[in-house]
Amino acid sequence: MKINYKQLSVLVFMSFISLKLLALPSLLYVDSENMSWLVALVLMIVDAIYVFLILDLMKKCDEKNILEFMNKCLGPVLTRVFLLVYIIKYALVVANISKGLEFFVVENFYNEFNWLVFILPLMALIGFMTYKGIRNIARVSEMINLAIVIGCLYIAFQSFSSADPTAYIPMFKDGVTPLLKSGFNHLSWFGSASFMMLLFGKVDFSSEKKWTMIRYLIFAIVLVQIMYYVFYGIFDNISATHNFCLSDISQFSSQESSINELSWLIVALWVVAQAVQLALYSYCMMQAIKFTFNIKNNSVPIIIVMAYILIWSLVGENTIGLERLFFTPFASIITILAQYVIPIVLYIGYIMQNRKRNAGMKKEIKSVIKLNPSVNVNRIKIGGEK
Amino acid sequence: MGMLVDAVKTFNEIKTKLHDSSDLKSRQVQFFGTRITICYIAPITDNNLLNDSVLFPMTSEQVKPKEKVVDYLKNSVMSSIEVTEHNTIDSAIQKLLTGQTLILVNESDKILSCDTEKITVRSIAEPPTSVVIKGPREGFTESIKYNLALIRKRVKSEDFVVNMMEIGKLTKTQVAVVYFDSVVDKAVVKQITKKLKAINIDGVLDSHYLVSYLQEKPHSLFKQVGDTEKPDILVAKMLEGRVGIIVDGSPIVLTLPFILIEDLQNSDDYYSQPIRVTFVRILRFVGVVLAVLLPGIYVALEKYHYKILPTEFLVTIMNTTQGIPFSPFLEILFVVLLFEILYEANLRMPQYFGMAMSIVGALILGETAVNAGLVSPPAVMIVALSGITFYIIPSEAAQFSILRLIAIVIGACLGLYGVLLFCVFVLSYLSSFDSYKSAYLAPASPYIENDQKDFYIRKTISEMKKRPKSIANNHKNMNRRGKNED
Repeated sequence: MKINYKQLSVLVFMSFISLKLLALPSLLYVDSENMSWLVALVLMIVDAIYVFLILDLMKKCDEKNILEFMNKCLGPVLTRVFLLVYIIKYALVVANISKGLEFFVVENFYNEFNWLVFILPLMALIGFMTYKGIRNIARVSEMINLAIVIGCLYIAFQSFSSADPTAYIPMFKDGVTPLLKSGFNHLSWFGSASFMMLLFGKVDFSSEKKWTMIRYLIFAIVLVQIMYYVFYGIFDNISATHNFCLSDISQFSSQESSINELSWLIVALWVVAQAVQLALYSYCMMQAIKFTFNIKNNSVPIIIVMAYILIWSLVGENTIGLERLFFTPFASIITILAQYVIPIVLYIGYIMQNRKRNAGMKKEIKSVIKLNPSVNVNRIKIGGEK
Repeated sequence: MGMLVDAVKTFNEIKTKLHDSSDLKSRQVQFFGTRITICYIAPITDNNLLNDSVLFPMTSEQVKPKEKVVDYLKNSVMSSIEVTEHNTIDSAIQKLLTGQTLILVNESDKILSCDTEKITVRSIAEPPTSVVIKGPREGFTESIKYNLALIRKRVKSEDFVVNMMEIGKLTKTQVAVVYFDSVVDKAVVKQITKKLKAINIDGVLDSHYLVSYLQEKPHSLFKQVGDTEKPDILVAKMLEGRVGIIVDGSPIVLTLPFILIEDLQNSDDYYSQPIRVTFVRILRFVGVVLAVLLPGIYVALEKYHYKILPTEFLVTIMNTTQGIPFSPFLEILFVVLLFEILYEANLRMPQYFGMAMSIVGALILGETAVNAGLVSPPAVMIVALSGITFYIIPSEAAQFSILRLIAIVIGACLGLYGVLLFCVFVLSYLSSFDSYKSAYLAPASPYIENDQKDFYIRKTISEMKKRPKSIANNHKNMNRRGKNED
């Protein structure tokens, strides 16, 4: 059930934009005010660099799953510790998306809404998609991707003329410290590439085109920046009170007096995108649980993930609870570990392991040459290379 | 048999095996002192052929045979194209049941059979389900021989393969698996043949009897086996790497692998201007969405999200729905069910009642219901629009009508949010399908760049240089044209 390189690029693209276009812009504004776009830009660029680091690791370790690879590099204890970090990371992301989606749906679609009516169909869908696996999630993402992009661009350009560029000056009025603080506080909204760690050995790189991933990443960063420009340009110093960037921008459209017609279609599309993202991160959480506790089948971890979503929906009744959990230093540290530390550790582990293997091979070759001096050294392959 | 037997005794044995069937006929002939019994089943035997290729040569032969009578008859007397020797009565009976004539020679251990089959077939006509404005109008008939001839007429290649088999314990229906050897994926042919050979039923009366055996998910709502009534479509599909399954007695030929996009394409598309075809295909896509989702969205909007509607439109709807005794859900459900009943009745009704039915159904019933205040004009319009768009893709209408009902129920219970989740669920379900190594939603998902030339945009035939990758085929032979032409 491999996904191809194009599908991986789409998944990365969707995960790059999905968490950024609802509550994040207003939350960033609290600390970094009119320089929030820069915080997002820097963190997204760092994420993009990590995408290529993890991709490189994936290519080198093709045909292995994460457990085998981590076990080999780091040993079983550290592997499980790392996997636990991933479980917590994805649990946080799943909680964030499901709760965010609920608020988004309630805010935009209904006057009165029963949470059970929201959560049960969503759980059925997520459970089904998670059960069907990453290929299924990737295929659905591939189909809705273009519509999402067109929709976001439509909303942004519709309100573009209403955005006031003077909202961005003066720049750095409080220096860099608030930006660093904001970046650290909201780190858990980033780290979009770490889910790829759980797709080891499941990506078909045969159809790889050099620029596919780069193109998608650049486009994701540009799209988010356009949306932020419009959002902060429109709402300026009241940005912190607008929780849903995407739908709030369309309400402020210069061409429409109220949210209606096409904007609704786009808001609806965003619900679809969020549901698919929820499935992706639920799948990652399920995989991490499966590997950590060495569970053979998929059903048990899926039930655990679904139960978690249900419980979260029950206890996380208000936004304050969610914010407390998601914006603590704890959440940021988990993200630093999952997104920024573990890939580096694994990469170093891979290099060391490769060196060790090559040294062993060289020793063997030397002994062979001693016995048969006529052997052509250039024709012997070491570690897959001549 | 293995020993010399009496012809009359053998005939009696055959008669007993056929339970003294009245249509089994025989005729005794003396051939240079040897008694010969000719037997055949009258309704399926061509009398002229029997006379010309068996009786006349036998009775008019002047030269006394120097070899065994059976061999002499086979080699020098009978003028039929196909003359077969049988060593067992059972194998001879099998031929007899297909319309062949048996020649039972006294004191011989062999039975001869020769082809005298009477082929009763309607004339080749344009199939009612695939009417075209431009392009070939020939359609398949109920005879497998004629159908193969229609294909052979278009294909003059040694690559074209026909694998015949019999399915059905009692009907022993002839089934042909056809494909291009150099184009098809052999694993797919093997898989199909294996499934067909494993079928154990009494009879196969139409190709659709085989569908549930060939489907990878037999209980699924969605169509998984393609079908066509036209030889040009079948050949086009085979040229892309598909396998055709022709069943004797059925004018519908099955094709595999099947992907959803096939039903959105039409044979007309390839004989018309690409720009026009592109426009029509986009219309078909929109049509599918409207057909399935429009009533559900209408119910959701009216019940939960009326603020989405533009004010002028909302006022119009409020004015027309005032005083309607049903909720939006029941109102739409009532009209949809009415539409389904009318459709079903119209389909089964004798043709001369059809026009009257349309008038009664569409005009009188619809208008009276609106005037009586039972349903509102927007509800009738929405269902009518959805109903008409179904028939942009008639072959998918059955499953889409079920999906429409589900969408209405979900729209009424959960609103737009439910309809959206329903859409994702359907997409996800279809994405999980693989029909004989081909992704069901290809080339949309997985996205296949090469095949976009014949997806919602259709490029010219000269631009489609490679075979589609969406279909499992022999990827070593991807070029549609020779190297020099590329």
